[in-house]
Amino acid sequence: MSVLWQQKTHGVLRRKEKMQRLLARLLLSVVVITTVLAGVYLTVVASNVHTARRLWAMENQIANVMRTNQAFMTEIARLSSIPVLQERSVALGYRPAESIDYLYLGEP
Amino acid sequence: MLHGPEARLRLITVLLIAALLPILGQLVRLQILEHSQYQSEAEALVRRQYALPEAPWGVIMDRNGDLLVGNVPVYDVGAEITMITDTVMAASVLAPLLNRSEEDLLALMTPPENTQTLVWRPLTNRVPPETVQKLRDLNWPWITLSPTWERYYAEGAMACHTLGFVNAEGMGYGVQAFQLRFLRGETVARVGSVSGDTSPMPDELTVGGLTPYPGTDLRLTIDRTIQAFVEGALDQAIVEYKAAGGNILVMDPQTGEILAVASRPNYEPHRYPEYAQNGKESIFWDPAVSIAYEPGSVFKALVVAAALDSGRVDTNWSYNDLGQIEYGGVIIRNSNDGAYGQQGLQGLLDYSLNVGAATLSTHVLGADLFYKYVRAFGFGQTTGIELTGEARGIVHLPTDWDWSDSYLATNSFGQGIAVTPLQMAMSIAAIANDGVMMQPRIIAERQYADGRVIPIPPHELGQPVSAAAARTVAEMMVRSVDTVAKVAQVPGYRIAGKSGTAQIPTTGGYHPRDVVVSYVGFGPVPNAQVVILVNLDRPDVPTHMRWGIDTAAPVFQKVMARVLTLMGVPPSDLRAGP
Repeated sequence: MSVLWQQKTHGVLRRKEKMQRLLARLLLSVVVITTVLAGVYLTVVASNVHTARRLWAMENQIANVMRTNQAFMTEIARLSSIPVLQERSVALGYRPAESIDYLYLGEP
Repeated sequence: MLHGPEARLRLITVLLIAALLPILGQLVRLQILEHSQYQSEAEALVRRQYALPEAPWGVIMDRNGDLLVGNVPVYDVGAEITMITDTVMAASVLAPLLNRSEEDLLALMTPPENTQTLVWRPLTNRVPPETVQKLRDLNWPWITLSPTWERYYAEGAMACHTLGFVNAEGMGYGVQAFQLRFLRGETVARVGSVSGDTSPMPDELTVGGLTPYPGTDLRLTIDRTIQAFVEGALDQAIVEYKAAGGNILVMDPQTGEILAVASRPNYEPHRYPEYAQNGKESIFWDPAVSIAYEPGSVFKALVVAAALDSGRVDTNWSYNDLGQIEYGGVIIRNSNDGAYGQQGLQGLLDYSLNVGAATLSTHVLGADLFYKYVRAFGFGQTTGIELTGEARGIVHLPTDWDWSDSYLATNSFGQGIAVTPLQMAMSIAAIANDGVMMQPRIIAERQYADGRVIPIPPHELGQPVSAAAARTVAEMMVRSVDTVAKVAQVPGYRIAGKSGTAQIPTTGGYHPRDVVVSYVGFGPVPNAQVVILVNLDRPDVPTHMRWGIDTAAPVFQKVMARVLTLMGVPPSDLRAGP
């Protein structure tokens, strides 16, 4: 009889198979846990990347809003500058006051 | 050869291990042995400084919040010139957009021969957003646009000396240079891994935000409307009297706030490089703050106040004016060489008698007391106003090596002593404010980007003369205006004033013809709301007109009348009630 036959008949193979199944289960568990952890890690990283991108975009937006705000401020200042106001008021028919008369109102 | 599955399995295992060994070896070489070299090479590729666009500088407003200096968003344009495929065509398209000649652009955009690396060159600066949009529409990937700012002066050259400017090196003039550390925005830059479009890699942003922090806004004490009127009045006066220059200073004596300050010659702050290139840097100094002049007879008001405060004279004091007095080897004469006989303090001010003023300084006060008052009124020292380049003036003291006894006599009528218009206005403001001298100031408050508002409170410099002495001099100056200087009267208001005409010192003496004419006054008396000083430099008018009373006083009257109206100060009889 061959050695293999002797192992089968004496239960040696069954013990080996049991050990291998145990090892396989262990490996599978490790793979599953690792996969879950990796999945969680990737999710967190992806979320982080997304948030960081949004943050950068928002900071850029703040900078752009600042620039737009300053542009509007200067445009308002230009439109309400004294030479422009004088031009507009003359066009509307206003003239500088020649004299000021104060009317004193006594308290009742 | 190979018998059985186990032997074949062993062979496959050996072959696999043999194949894996070189890979493992390479891994060890790359990851362990040459790790640092490859890491530094990789970092050199992706590590760059990154930042958001530069933060805006703080804006400058007048006392009512109207913008005087703002920021215009502009761009600096550059090009990765090694990436350009058709340089001639690109230059011809860009020339009209960038306002540069095609030849200039061609020279800039042609890369050096045998260039292997990327070459970037700046094409032009300060390009407005409208042009930038046109450049973006070209969709040329080699054009680089760097956002930046340009200072915008809303009223052009108005208040140019006060507002000033700051150049790229952080040097400048006016309130901007003085307040640079507040005005300048803070841009946060960081070095780290960047992506292809030079934005930071996501993990870099976990360190913190990069939002730039805008500079602090300044609200000045200047009133834009008063300033505009004063500038117009000064321009008109300079044309009318053919003066070489001049300045007008309007100040609140109770707080020291400068409401307006105009000086000529002036300049347009946004064109400062052109002035500098043409060697005209001297135009940047404000004559009202940085250049001292001999004030002339306006100084007599202070001498009278000092004499009264000392207690050595009272309103009944008198002297016999013989038309001249000798002191320290110099003969002092009245401006018209006349003798006025018995005169008191009022006559001294009314007729602006040099002999009377010299009598007070030499025979009544003496050098120690006289110069104690000169110092107390702030002469020979800076006022501390928030502007660059403030001059101290020149006051000769008896302890100085170049002292001459005659200074005591000539200083009493404002010759031989040099003061700035600001110092002069400040000292007269002390007379207007019951003897209390306030520090001149130009900044009303700082407005921080986080919303904090820090007001700058008025600061009292001292009380050079008593309230009683100041009031007495103020009343004398009012009577002087009402009797001999009616040209300075403002209908309905009690105005105090004093004229001055000062010779201009030259090497070895005084110019035979040129003078600085001035008029200083305040009103309404009592409880004066405003002090105005008018100086005209070297008016080119007939000799009989070359006096402060004939040239500066009418300008003073015009400005005072309008400023009182603009400030809403009711006439004196209404202030007193029915």
